[in-house]
Amino acid sequence: MTVQPEANLEGWNPEVGDATALAEVIERAFDYRGDVTIVRRDGSEIVGYLFNRDATVAQPFVQVFEQQGGLPLTVLYADIHTVRFTGRDTAAGNSYAAWLRSREAAKAARSAPDV
Amino acid sequence: MSVPLSQMLTVTTYVLGQRLRGRRRYPLVLMLEPLYRCNLACAGCGKIQYPAHILRKNLSVEQCLAAVEECGVPMVSIPGGEPLMYPDIGRLVKELVARRKYVYLCTNAILLKEKLEAGIFTPSKYLSFSVHLDGLREEHDETVCREGVYDQAVEAIREALRRGFRVTTNSTLFDGTSAIRMQMFFDEMMDLGVEGMMLSPGYSYAKAPDQEHFLRRQKTHELFSKMLENPKKRWKFNQSPLFLQFLMGKWDFECTPWGMPAYNIFGWQRPCYLLQEGYAASFKDLMEKTAWENYGHKSGNEKCKDCMVHCGYEATAVDFTFASFKGLKAAAQATLTGKL
Repeated sequence: MTVQPEANLEGWNPEVGDATALAEVIERAFDYRGDVTIVRRDGSEIVGYLFNRDATVAQPFVQVFEQQGGLPLTVLYADIHTVRFTGRDTAAGNSYAAWLRSREAAKAARSAPDV
Repeated sequence: MSVPLSQMLTVTTYVLGQRLRGRRRYPLVLMLEPLYRCNLACAGCGKIQYPAHILRKNLSVEQCLAAVEECGVPMVSIPGGEPLMYPDIGRLVKELVARRKYVYLCTNAILLKEKLEAGIFTPSKYLSFSVHLDGLREEHDETVCREGVYDQAVEAIREALRRGFRVTTNSTLFDGTSAIRMQMFFDEMMDLGVEGMMLSPGYSYAKAPDQEHFLRRQKTHELFSKMLENPKKRWKFNQSPLFLQFLMGKWDFECTPWGMPAYNIFGWQRPCYLLQEGYAASFKDLMEKTAWENYGHKSGNEKCKDCMVHCGYEATAVDFTFASFKGLKAAAQATLTGKL
């Protein structure tokens, strides 16, 4: 399994080979600030925000808020085939850079000589 | 210092009670986040980067009250998100005040005037609006990435004070902050009539848009020393003087990550208000199953290395005040003389 660099997980569709790899994908999904698609071993899918996981208990699990709403779902690691990073990474935006650009542009406009 | 006597007595009784019971780890303030939605997107904030369906979620008032009950704290801070966007904020505050909890409603104040005019809050010694202001107009509008917010906040502060509410300010300081400009800010806040000010260096949230301007330890010491070396008597700070002295480099405290636990739509945040390493289903679970030795400055944890934020160290300062004669003497001296 090739793990994508931190900043580039959006759209990642990992092929999970073994239990260790799945744990790593889940760890990345937990840190990811966008929705993911959990593909279960039976082929069914859950789309939502994976907000918690615990790999230290007897039956490791993840917790997800589904995109469609409702109470959080708990899914066992054992039932997960893979996790796809299908939603937009909301932490990868450039809001601060955009603010700086617009502020600099406004400053430049203010200081420009009148024609 | 400007904490009212009744609040000081409540905190003192609570801390002494915990110590008498032999509790080494106890919470002091609950950081209650009923929502993550915000009407600003500040450069240094790592709290609001979530998909839209998460930002639309709210805790119920009942969930909030159960969390307060569960951890038993005397003080509740309501950050977020922007708590004035929480649909039940009036009822939540009313219920907390009825339970005699000291509430700090942390707001950017954009909606404050409107909410005050709607009459959803009643003045009380238990309620304080803690208005987010990171400095004078230019600096504040830059950190919140929107022009005009400082003026809106100042207008709302005036209105809240006129109506008899307690108002404090909370300021997060970043690299590049001018000590002189902050001193001018302290003067301006005192002129406005706020009860007291709270200061903290920012935390380098991994998810914050601006990663370049967080203060490291040495720079924090330098900035706070310069800013607070000869504090004017009229400057009132609504926080432990020992915490401010710690920021100035006068004390070597260790973090108390359990001191200000955070509860939000995901549960009890592990291990602290700033780091999100998982969520516990109960406060008991958070306290008993968190590997606390992995956190704090001395732990070697890279994420804790430069952190000097109030939610980790203010509780340490308060505990130290009551843990030794040295702490009590230093706190009393600073409180009585105003010297830091």
